[in-house]
Amino acid sequence: MPLDVSPIFRSYESQRTLNPPGIPGLAPLPSGETDDTRRICEQFGEDIVAAGLHHGNQVVQVDAGRLKALATFLRDDPELRYETLIDVTSLDKSQLPQNGDSRFQTVYQFRSYARNQHLTVVADCEAGDGDNGAMPHIDSLTGVFRGAEWPEREVYDLMGIRFDGHPDLRRILMPKNWHNHPLQKQAPLGGEEVPFTFTWDDPEFDTLGTQILPSVSVAPDLPPGMSRQNMVINMGPHHPSTHGVLRLVVELDGERIVSIDPDLGFLHSGFEKTGENKRYKDFVYYTDRMDYLSSMSNNLGYCLTIEHMLGLEIPERAQVIRVIMAEMQRIASHLFWLATHVLDVSGTGMSLLMYATRERERILDLFEMVCGARLTVSYIRIGGVWQDLPDAFISELKDFLKLMPGKISEYEAMLTEAPLWQERLTDVGHIRGADALAMGLTGPMLRGSGVDWDLRRDRPYCGYEAYEFEVPTSDRGDCYGRFSIRLEEMRQSVRILEQAVANLPSGLFKSNDRKVTAPPRAELDVSMEALIHHFKLMTEGFHVPPGFFYNGIESSKGELGFYVYSDGSAKPYRLHVHGPSFNNLYAIDHISRGEMLSDVVTNIGSIDIVLGEVDR
Amino acid sequence: MDWLQLLVFPAIRALILIFVLLTGFAYLTWYERKLLARFQVRYGPNRAGKFGLLQPAADAVKAFFKEEIIPNHVDKPVYLLAPAMALVPALIIWAVIPIAKGTPAIADVNIGFLWILAVAGIESYGIILAGWGSNNNYSLLGALRSAAQMVSYELPLGLFLVSILILAGSFSLVELVEGFRPWWEWIWLWLAFPFFFICILAETNRSPFDLPETENELVAGFQTEYGGMKFALFFIAEYVNMISTSAIMATLFFGGWKGPFAEQYIWLGPIYLLIKVVILLFLFIWVRASIGRPRYDQLMKFCWQFMLPLGLVYVSISAVLAVFLK
Repeated sequence: MPLDVSPIFRSYESQRTLNPPGIPGLAPLPSGETDDTRRICEQFGEDIVAAGLHHGNQVVQVDAGRLKALATFLRDDPELRYETLIDVTSLDKSQLPQNGDSRFQTVYQFRSYARNQHLTVVADCEAGDGDNGAMPHIDSLTGVFRGAEWPEREVYDLMGIRFDGHPDLRRILMPKNWHNHPLQKQAPLGGEEVPFTFTWDDPEFDTLGTQILPSVSVAPDLPPGMSRQNMVINMGPHHPSTHGVLRLVVELDGERIVSIDPDLGFLHSGFEKTGENKRYKDFVYYTDRMDYLSSMSNNLGYCLTIEHMLGLEIPERAQVIRVIMAEMQRIASHLFWLATHVLDVSGTGMSLLMYATRERERILDLFEMVCGARLTVSYIRIGGVWQDLPDAFISELKDFLKLMPGKISEYEAMLTEAPLWQERLTDVGHIRGADALAMGLTGPMLRGSGVDWDLRRDRPYCGYEAYEFEVPTSDRGDCYGRFSIRLEEMRQSVRILEQAVANLPSGLFKSNDRKVTAPPRAELDVSMEALIHHFKLMTEGFHVPPGFFYNGIESSKGELGFYVYSDGSAKPYRLHVHGPSFNNLYAIDHISRGEMLSDVVTNIGSIDIVLGEVDR
Repeated sequence: MDWLQLLVFPAIRALILIFVLLTGFAYLTWYERKLLARFQVRYGPNRAGKFGLLQPAADAVKAFFKEEIIPNHVDKPVYLLAPAMALVPALIIWAVIPIAKGTPAIADVNIGFLWILAVAGIESYGIILAGWGSNNNYSLLGALRSAAQMVSYELPLGLFLVSILILAGSFSLVELVEGFRPWWEWIWLWLAFPFFFICILAETNRSPFDLPETENELVAGFQTEYGGMKFALFFIAEYVNMISTSAIMATLFFGGWKGPFAEQYIWLGPIYLLIKVVILLFLFIWVRASIGRPRYDQLMKFCWQFMLPLGLVYVSISAVLAVFLK
């Protein structure tokens, strides 16, 4: 029997009791208007419930029935041109005050790369009626933006919202026999029964040794009277080159790929649900574990979102330290991508694996120097960074920066100039720019298809506008294009790092706002105020004003977004993570069809996935 | 007396040969691991014994004491036969290789070349049977690749062998090494060596042509379902094959056992051969550490569109040379 209260429940973390009286939990309505919201309002009139700016983002709340029309309008209107749907998420309003008629809400993030505009669209779902079962439902956007397929499946799986017209609405992260939709507010955290037993009585074992996940079969084109069966192989979850626990159900015709159906969720840890039950400052440590190859970027993305909602000013020095860390992390992540990509494509004997990890080791040593950890760093915290840089750090970093460009050239000499490597990557995993946009791909996957977009340059954060760097793009759209982009990004990161090191200001390394950051230890001995602040922060945490905000940063793999809905308490009411690997992995079926089996591993490597982030 | 000559002496010789080859295999794994480690800025095995020299012994003990697992779904006779089928050709190919002046490893047969071609031909059976008997999709794909690859690369390999044969004018490897070769013949031979080496890489399934067992796509290819000693047999087969083919290359292209004073002191012959083999084995490992793997279709294309025409041209020119210059 599922428990309502987790056995590890601690009363002082209770969300309700911490709510100071008088603060309404519901986010305020967007106010003001922009050109885009005006145009949308003109077109849709009565169907727009609310429109305007909220936390600096354009927000439009639309009637559920007109959602699909709005999405089509956003994509096709020559003045709006929102080419891509970045993210789909949802909100369970059942514990908010004045939550209105509808319990569930879906939230869409649209992006116009051409016009550099971001638009959040919110729609209340229709309550479930007889035809659709008891589930709330809303129109699917898969017909407008192909990339909505997986995010909508995720919402269906975790929140229990049915998408009408979705081609393949199955659970994506949770086991298919899971009994609830975990992100709904009444679903308990912890203490629930696990639907597998590890004993032979388990119904799961009935299917042992048989293919339980059918492939997305494509009927072979055969003359009448002949029959043929394609081979289905399961790559993973235990497979050398699926970069973790990913399972690909690959349908093969000889060695040619007919279709690929990724089976996700083996590493699903419910970070979003956990986040809703942790104080804001405590979730930083969880972000490390999502994309564990670029934990600094994850820290940064989360902290920036919360800081923006708090309206917190970050000191100059902290900003530059953050840029240094984020860029070092980008190099480290790309190095590890290169190492594993080479391993996948060229075999275990290939020495480049060790060469790239050797350089990554230097970066990890530097991380260890600043925060003691190498992989799960948790160095960037809300309000700044954890500690100031140690004295030796800058000189060590300078040594590394001197060495790195030469090393990148070395890799190029081993790979770019090797005909075998070129042949393996050229024209493999090809994706056109238009498809990449429709699928909502981000990062090198997008730039590799010729879309010139980098959040660091186009929607700068952390003071990136002060740095000079180029955004490499490639029109090739194949694995080789993405490969060369990532190599060039490493060079550009070195360039940014050089500028950051040269202009590192002195000053505070974290905000002095005592409501958010803890006072230094020495202050506690002399100041009553500091003691109180420290106590309040360590027990209760800080409160974030009601509202919601989506913020994306350019992580090494693409756009890493955090959507946070605050009800004014010390914990996020809803926390959603948009992992770039998740959306990028969606393309694997599209880019691999018709190619050889060997190209699947090339494509996985080229997409650069981290399963911790895909499954979250 | 006859049966002694016919059976006992060759049997003792064969036993010694097998012992030497298996020891050679053991230390070849050590040699490869050490070398790969140095290429990859690592140390390699250095815990078991001085310089990790006891590592092969430790590995052998491990392989021997592993539980023998035969999965339920395999075709049992084929599954069990396959490792033996892989290992035997790798060993018997040595029979005709001369190791010292006038001394072949087992027998000086007058069809040495044909023996090599024939044994190389049955080498792929072990892998094909393993892939078929395992009843596993990965194994099957690995075996299919292996069959296609080995059959294809045997053609250019055979063509190069035929060219050498035409120039040498004898089927016997003993005569080939001991016979006189003019300077232009050496140069002509060495021109062919890189291509011959590529064929040998494909023939022994070594990186970059290790497509039958591409661990990154096919988990372990044809040997996915094998464990313990049965896996070890495939492993031995691969490495003994490397040694055998290196010895063949040394014999064909670099004078085999020949070296300073090898004619006077007959015991120097095996030592010179060993040195040449070790150098050639270094090539195998060097290639593995620095060259990526082609895709299966690219590999086949390379064979049929480049290696095979090249081999044909080489044979024709060799024939012309043999007629006009010899």
